[in-house]
Amino acid sequence: MRSEIVVSAKGITKSYKMSKNNSVHALRGVDIQVKKGDFSAIIGSSGCGKSTLMHILGLLDKPDSGELYIDGEDVSKIKDKNAYKMRAKKIGFIFQGFNLIPTLTAMENVVLAGKYGGLKLSERKKRAFKLMNMVGLADRLNHKPSELSGGQQQRVAIARALMNDPAIILADEPTGELDSKTSLEIIDMLKELNNKGKTFLIVTHNMEVANACKKIIRLKDGKNES
Amino acid sequence: MEILRNMWRRKFRTFLTVMGISVGILAFTVMGSLALKLNKMIDGGKKYMTGQITISPKGSNFMTGSGGGTLPIDLLNKIKNIEGVSAVAPGVELALKDPDPDNPTGGTSFGPPPTIEGYDTEAGIVNRNWTTLEMKEGKMIDKNSKENDIAVGTTIALENKLKVGDQFEIRGKKFNVVGVLDKTMTGPDTYVFMPIESAQKLYVEANPFLKSLKEKSDQAATISDKEISALSPDAKTQIMQSKSFKIEDINTAASVGWKDGTDPEIIVQKLKDQFKNDVIVLSPKKMGEEIDKASAQMNAIIFGAAILALIVGLFSIVNTMIMSISERTKEIGIKKAIGASGSSIAREYTFEAGVISLLGGLVGMGLGVLIITIVNGRMASSGAEIFLLQANFLVGVVVFSFVIGIIAGILPALRASKLRVVEAIREL
Repeated sequence: MRSEIVVSAKGITKSYKMSKNNSVHALRGVDIQVKKGDFSAIIGSSGCGKSTLMHILGLLDKPDSGELYIDGEDVSKIKDKNAYKMRAKKIGFIFQGFNLIPTLTAMENVVLAGKYGGLKLSERKKRAFKLMNMVGLADRLNHKPSELSGGQQQRVAIARALMNDPAIILADEPTGELDSKTSLEIIDMLKELNNKGKTFLIVTHNMEVANACKKIIRLKDGKNES
Repeated sequence: MEILRNMWRRKFRTFLTVMGISVGILAFTVMGSLALKLNKMIDGGKKYMTGQITISPKGSNFMTGSGGGTLPIDLLNKIKNIEGVSAVAPGVELALKDPDPDNPTGGTSFGPPPTIEGYDTEAGIVNRNWTTLEMKEGKMIDKNSKENDIAVGTTIALENKLKVGDQFEIRGKKFNVVGVLDKTMTGPDTYVFMPIESAQKLYVEANPFLKSLKEKSDQAATISDKEISALSPDAKTQIMQSKSFKIEDINTAASVGWKDGTDPEIIVQKLKDQFKNDVIVLSPKKMGEEIDKASAQMNAIIFGAAILALIVGLFSIVNTMIMSISERTKEIGIKKAIGASGSSIAREYTFEAGVISLLGGLVGMGLGVLIITIVNGRMASSGAEIFLLQANFLVGVVVFSFVIGIIAGILPALRASKLRVVEAIREL
């Protein structure tokens, strides 16, 4: 059963060793809580630790210390070889640069996520088609990413992120490479999905995007800004 | 499909890698087919040599057939009486024709040279492993055959365009072809089988010393006993010696068979003990061991050369995959981010390497088959094909190429699987 609190992070720290005597403290004890149905934004100036936090919440990196729960499961010390299962089933990703696999068609990119999520082939295709329809790209199924506009690629990425019905969708600057009109279209799509019950946590430096969210979490110098 | 598209992304690099493997597989196919042919020939020889005890005159060289004398029939009759011996079949072997004086080595040939095989049709074939010879047409020489009847091997028939009913001139004498053997891929393909009496006559004719002995014997036969008794002791001795020449003593080798339940090595030992001054004995067991050793060495050389070529191809795949993974670090990061496990990444890249290698294997095998077909086609008119194409070997070659690719891909694939997601993603 899905937990009411989808993401719970307490006291998350992360440092990067640049040289023998020089470390960068990217996160200095961050607390975050995301509930089911939230549409939250993390904002902060460049270098405040937003992307580092996003990587840790997405299990792409490990914190040095702190507690982390994803959908009720303690993943603070999860091993790399098990983290992929959580990423496949509980977390959806939307990246700034879309990051679709260039040799696969739009449909195949979405189906691929289903493969990693353990869905049967027939189920994958059925669900992927439904999602592509939902994001308005039913007529672009067999197009390669290079044949799609930026906005269309991001919509494919959204469909991919939704493929395994994750507990939370993490979006790292989802409108970063889009023009203002397309950015608004994407945000509207995310809001619509949120209205249907999907949970979003968006990292952005764009205040328009942040203001479209229901909740804003501010970071400064690797900590929650009070 | 993604694998094929990934290969297509870097067409030239893929082409070079495929060619690298295909050269190795081409070498493996050709050398392997050569080894198969040689092994088939050797197996035939081994089957023959281990099915009988072979004796040859003391002083002769079994491999070259040179030197030594002949095996008198009285000696062979004594051998027949040894306990455990089932039969003794004398034989006469000589070259089908004398070499060209301007080309005494006769050039290069593959396999046994054309040879006359005279055998005792009364004794029949005593070899346990070769009791009959399959005939393509006609029949084998037997006790009902006439003196000038011959059965020829398939290579002899092809080279001389012979069929049953034809006449074939051998060393100035005409013979009647009564049978053409089926292809054996070994010795009998280049043999002319004839009754031993005919072969003995040809042997004597070809040997000036024996020929003069026979002539003297024939002259001595015309002298009556009364005339001999009137001669001086020395002259009498000479005449009696001349008369002692018997053509049935002209045997260049003999096959000795053993009774069921008898250990042939015991008979070998008895022959060595009782006739060590008269014969050289070739033990079936020892012959089998020597042939196996020689065969293993030959195969090691042939396949060793081919495997070296394959190793080069293998390294080219490793190189290609490492470069490919380096270029696709970002993609690996994306896949891991959306839930791919390290092992699934490893499987993907390992399989891709296998597919590249398989493609090279198909190309290499195809080219190898083409070359073999052309070369064998040119040699077919003389029945002396030097390669043996076998379907299961070719399938094995293709499967092997896939396996080679998998092995080559393991290390790069493991590297890909261990890529840290956040580092790969930082390339985004």
